[in-house]
Amino acid sequence: MSNIQSALTEKLQNATAFTIPVFGGIPVAESVVVTWILMALIMVLVLLATRHLQPEKPGRLQSLLELAVGGLNHFTEENIGSHWRSFAPWLGSVAVYIAFANLSGLLGLTPPTKDVSVTAALAFTSVCLIYGSSFRFLGLRGGLHKFAEPLPLLIPINIMEIAIRPLSLCMRLFGNVLGSFIIMELIKAVMPAVVPAVFSLYFDIFDGLIQTIVFVFLTTLFTGDALEQE
Amino acid sequence: MSVAIGAAIAVFTGVGAGLGIGYATAKASEAMARQPEAAKDIRNALLLGCALAEATAIYGFVIGLALIITK
Repeated sequence: MSNIQSALTEKLQNATAFTIPVFGGIPVAESVVVTWILMALIMVLVLLATRHLQPEKPGRLQSLLELAVGGLNHFTEENIGSHWRSFAPWLGSVAVYIAFANLSGLLGLTPPTKDVSVTAALAFTSVCLIYGSSFRFLGLRGGLHKFAEPLPLLIPINIMEIAIRPLSLCMRLFGNVLGSFIIMELIKAVMPAVVPAVFSLYFDIFDGLIQTIVFVFLTTLFTGDALEQE
Repeated sequence: MSVAIGAAIAVFTGVGAGLGIGYATAKASEAMARQPEAAKDIRNALLLGCALAEATAIYGFVIGLALIITK
């Protein structure tokens, strides 16, 4: 028990990668450094993938990209409605980042989403988007009126949701990534060869992608809900 | 010892999540078999329901973990 406990505690520490030596030292967490690496990777991939775009006769890669972007636009339009254009780029970027972050375990990096600060930040931006868009598109009156829907009796519950939604978004992503990370570490500790690869298929790839979809899907649904007019 | 028991009890939240997701999936496949043309909407609703049901299991897991680590 104490063995596992100390091993777990060690794995769960969010390591500090390095310290910036100004103002008495600013610690830079490992998740931030991994995020920088992922940002560079995504930038390079995007630049490579969008070279030589041709409107006349698209290549194979371009067709694939068009399919992905078209699917995203369609999905956003279906769930958010007429204001979908403002939201599709943001949702797509979040999806790409979370997918890369969850899959970075495959490259031997520590997934940034294992750090609760990262998922909390993502959830915070989501909740800003949800309530911000409600006030932006429905106006101050409309945004405030949203809290009294469907019944004025539900105002306390709607206000509680401001805190509950980001908490559940944050904890869901964090718990899933952390859980699969721990299970993978335990499997690696028991059997270092072959077996982890099989489990990695489920815990790293399948679970990571499902959580990406769930996060973006819930954000989209909540936003669509916040924009719905009576 | 008591920490281990506490963590085990926290992980019992998985029972509810498992039952909930199983029930939701059973109903969804039933509905898809009955109305294959509505499969897409049903899948969306299923995904949302599963995500919400699964959250309870995740809370239990996080609490169990917190118990073990902060002991």
